[in-house]
Amino acid sequence: MLSGLKNKEPKKASGLMPRSQMPLRTLMIAMTVMCYLACLAIGALVLITQAVDDWSSDIAGEVTVQIRPSDNVKMSDKLKMIAGILDKTNGVISYEILEKEAGAKLLEPWLGNADILDQLPVPRLVAVVIDQKTPPDFVKLESVIKTRVDGASLDTHRRWQEELTRMADSLINLGVGVLVLITISAVALVIFASRTALDANRQVVEVLHLIGATDPYIARQVQWQFLKAGLQSGLVGVLVGMATFILLGISSGGPASSGLADASYGLLVGAPEVTSVNYLLFLLVPIIATLLCLVAARLAILRILSNAL
Amino acid sequence: MSRTSSIVSLQNVGLRYGKGREVLRDINLELTPGSFHFLTGPSGAGKTSLLRLLFLTKKPTRGLISMFGHDMMSLSRRRLPKIRRKIGVVFQDFRLLDHLTVYENIALPLRVVGQKPKDYRENVHELLNWVGLADYADVYPPVLSGGEQQRVAIARAVISQPDLLLADEPTGNVDPVMAQRLLGLFGGLNKTGTTIVIATHDSNLIAKSKNPVLVLNDGQLGYA
Repeated sequence: MLSGLKNKEPKKASGLMPRSQMPLRTLMIAMTVMCYLACLAIGALVLITQAVDDWSSDIAGEVTVQIRPSDNVKMSDKLKMIAGILDKTNGVISYEILEKEAGAKLLEPWLGNADILDQLPVPRLVAVVIDQKTPPDFVKLESVIKTRVDGASLDTHRRWQEELTRMADSLINLGVGVLVLITISAVALVIFASRTALDANRQVVEVLHLIGATDPYIARQVQWQFLKAGLQSGLVGVLVGMATFILLGISSGGPASSGLADASYGLLVGAPEVTSVNYLLFLLVPIIATLLCLVAARLAILRILSNAL
Repeated sequence: MSRTSSIVSLQNVGLRYGKGREVLRDINLELTPGSFHFLTGPSGAGKTSLLRLLFLTKKPTRGLISMFGHDMMSLSRRRLPKIRRKIGVVFQDFRLLDHLTVYENIALPLRVVGQKPKDYRENVHELLNWVGLADYADVYPPVLSGGEQQRVAIARAVISQPDLLLADEPTGNVDPVMAQRLLGLFGGLNKTGTTIVIATHDSNLIAKSKNPVLVLNDGQLGYA
């Protein structure tokens, strides 16, 4: 029955560790989830950074002159004086004197749409668009405004900018913390899986040792399977993660919509000079997952084997 | 490092498992290159334990062991594989790898030392013929009979032409004719310089050979 097999040997040598006895399926599921979460965390970090940059840029490109009413000088005169100052200031691109109703409208969220606003000394606002490349000397401008116009002040939005930066830093630190936790969990998973793999193949390991295999040789038989598992998990995790961002954009109205959906869509779809960096960042996930699986598995296996006789 | 011309030297060796009584006591043994010994004794006398010391899966709780000129008590773990490659082992329970074919099982010791398949292909087929399993190269161990598995284990143990061959009941699962044939094969290997120790209960096998017989009784070693 078996005579037909004479003098045949496999074209390719079989792996010394049976793949079926490796806990790779469980590891791959867990690693895929880890990579997916890492992908989401990276996407969130990119979105936060982009949003903060956009907001900072908007805020930094505009300052506001605030003029409080006073009894001795008419508001219209004060506004003329401010306009005069702004006209002569280098670095001011344009300015807009907001109507009294516009100022009152800004207070509506706090005071309500009440007639009382007409009776209150609501300050008038002048929105000034500045040239960010050659901005005016704000200290000097503030001094001139305060000296020449009674009750006028300059708001450069620096406090908002600082608070925004502080909030962004906190969110970025949180995101990085999440990434670190994901990495630690992934390392723990690989170590656990390596131990299980060796336990499941105890007899194979023992035979290999007895016929003179070195620990690094045995580790190599296992680590490549972990490397493959890491690469596959990383790729699946990152593809599902990227699909999540695109779906988030599409499901919320597509690229024309605004807000988070628009930003999520813009992460991966759009001008290559913007999206290519994001693609590279996402590509880091499978690369790191693969290397992590390889290195953590090898070190764990060598450590376990070093305790064997 | 070498204390004697023996390739294996055991001096006052004792072995106990955990806190139990000593299963081997005051073992003194010298194996000279090219010698052929049988090791026998009643069940539980310590034959397998003695073999475990010799194929380096156990360390004695006392005494000295020297192998191939190395003091095994002080040898680092990293140097063990080099010593193990000089030893061929036939286990009582064969310990074949079920996911590898007969061919791959036999070639394993050569694969582990980095030999290329084209370099050992002929040797493996020659050995398959030698143990009468030429038609079974691509068969997986679980479909083989006990005797066939035993012959694969023997082929695996001798493929790298070890300096020392340790066999635990190598004829336990074969008929007397095959047992005699295997003994002849061990004798042939011994003539090429391999030192051989065969642990067996088979008194017929021992009787048909003129080689010295080591007897283990209640953990102590003597000559028959």
